[in-house]
Amino acid sequence: MESAPVIDVVNLSKAFGPKVVLSNVNLQVNEGESLVVMGGSGTGKTVLLRNIMGLLTPDAGHVAVDGKIIQQLGREELFETRKKIGMCFQMAALFDSMSVEENVGFALTRHTSMTPGEILNRVDECLEMVGLKGSNKLRPSELSGGMKRRVGFARAIALKPKILLFDEPTTGLDPVMTDVIGRIILGLKLELGVTSITVTHDLKSAFEIADRIALIFRGECIACETPEAFRVNPHPVVQQFLRGDADGPFLQDPPPPRREPRETSRSTFDPLQSV
Amino acid sequence: MLNSLLEKIGIQVLGFLDKAGDFAVVSGRAVAAIPRRPFDGRNLMRQFLAVGVNSIPVILLTSLAVSMVFAVQLVYGFKQFQAEGLAAQVNGLAIIRELAPVISGLMMAGRVGSAMAAELGTMQVTEQIDALECLATDPIQYLFVPRLLASAITLPLLVCLSIYVGYWGGHFLLVAVEGQSSVIYANDFYKLLTIRDLYIAMTKAFVFGVIIALVGCWRGYRTFGGAEGVGNAPTSSVVTSSLWILIADFFLTKILLV
Ligand SMILES: Nc1ncnc2c1ncn2[C@@H]1O[C@H](COP(=O)(O)OP(=O)(O)OP(=O)(O)O)[C@@H](O)[C@H]1O
Ligand SMILES: [Mg+2]
Repeated sequence: MESAPVIDVVNLSKAFGPKVVLSNVNLQVNEGESLVVMGGSGTGKTVLLRNIMGLLTPDAGHVAVDGKIIQQLGREELFETRKKIGMCFQMAALFDSMSVEENVGFALTRHTSMTPGEILNRVDECLEMVGLKGSNKLRPSELSGGMKRRVGFARAIALKPKILLFDEPTTGLDPVMTDVIGRIILGLKLELGVTSITVTHDLKSAFEIADRIALIFRGECIACETPEAFRVNPHPVVQQFLRGDADGPFLQDPPPPRREPRETSRSTFDPLQSV
Repeated sequence: MLNSLLEKIGIQVLGFLDKAGDFAVVSGRAVAAIPRRPFDGRNLMRQFLAVGVNSIPVILLTSLAVSMVFAVQLVYGFKQFQAEGLAAQVNGLAIIRELAPVISGLMMAGRVGSAMAAELGTMQVTEQIDALECLATDPIQYLFVPRLLASAITLPLLVCLSIYVGYWGGHFLLVAVEGQSSVIYANDFYKLLTIRDLYIAMTKAFVFGVIIALVGCWRGYRTFGGAEGVGNAPTSSVVTSSLWILIADFFLTKILLV
């Protein structure tokens, strides 16, 4: 018999006023599996993660983590469950009155009996992973957007949680750092058997880290399958998403007309020609 | 016309009840979280510094000003029936029973209550409070408890300071300016008072401290709507907590004095 999924999203629906964001979403993530969630901007990926974390209450349906239904837990149990989950916010959400070091070490200080020295070691380890060695004493206001995101990433993984939720961990990072983050996520999965949900718009890293890919379109999960199957999914929305083309059923309103790039400008700006 | 007016009033009343209920629930959770572990000593010390130590200059100046102005008024008033000698007694009575607790409470509502609302409000709109939740930390325990403790413990101490400064403010005016005897002033200041009045003043200060911290934190915690929301939080917290301080003062006086 197959073991129960670690994260089980059942018939989840959420609306804000008249605006329906998610309707009847079902997702299962098994232990040690890495699910990538994709979808257009504003389709409710962040709302999905916030429901899983218990920051939002669904209108219908529920989310179960480790067999416990999040919405039915008392505050104490909820915090116990959250200790097992690391969440990386889209806007980083760093504590701006604390230094980078205190941010990353926050959960360690509060929830473990580690000595300050041990905490510092773990913080350094996490910061080194995301390429921010030596930024311990900086304040969040002194960091760039991408650096903040990486500190948020380090904070999420510091406690070595069993479950990780990443909300666009690589948006705004350069291609090299994007690959580094992708490798860290893969490494966590292979070495520690972490179960993860990653929201991303980056197709390359999505195919690298995903065991399964889900696509959310107009509040519904229209595909949830292995990367190989996803690539050949005949659904026109999936194909348009993979091509990254403005024309197709993906957008509600028709996109602006396509204009052919001019010959002259193309030759002037072709980077390969000047080599 | 009348219907829509009634409807509006109804919505207002319901909204108020909703808020009052939420405030009660959040406050209850804050009080219940006080003994819960982990105990955060560093944060508590920081709040003691912010609420207590940094408020000393404000309390000093306002108490001095208020006690001196009050002494001037008393001397002027009592002069009309040749009873300047009563000024010291009434001054002591007024300072300990009302002026020190209420003026300190109102000043602190403006100084620390608003700061709490602004700080927590900013944390709310920048998702930092959500981040706390995700790091398995109860924001009410982490943010409310140190502020509540610091405010409830510090306010009585600040009121003691305020009484002390008020004593010397009156002393300056009545002895140095009006030329009354300093020995008589020292005796008269406490003449109409018993030790119970000091207890009452401390009880008031404690209650005001609780009001300031809970209202400030709650208002910040429930902030929404970006920069505008953060801008409204301190104002509304100062107005609300000042109002409640005055209401509580009336009832505490009524209950404790008889
Ligand atoms: N607190 C809220 N109140 C009202 N509407 C909200 C709220 N949070 C999200 N929404 C709405 O829900 C929709 C989905 O938002 P969400 O943040 O989940 O998008 P997303 O898929 O994460 O997009 P992106 O890729 O741009 O981050 C949006 O259209 C937004 O308007
Ligand atoms: Mg998002």
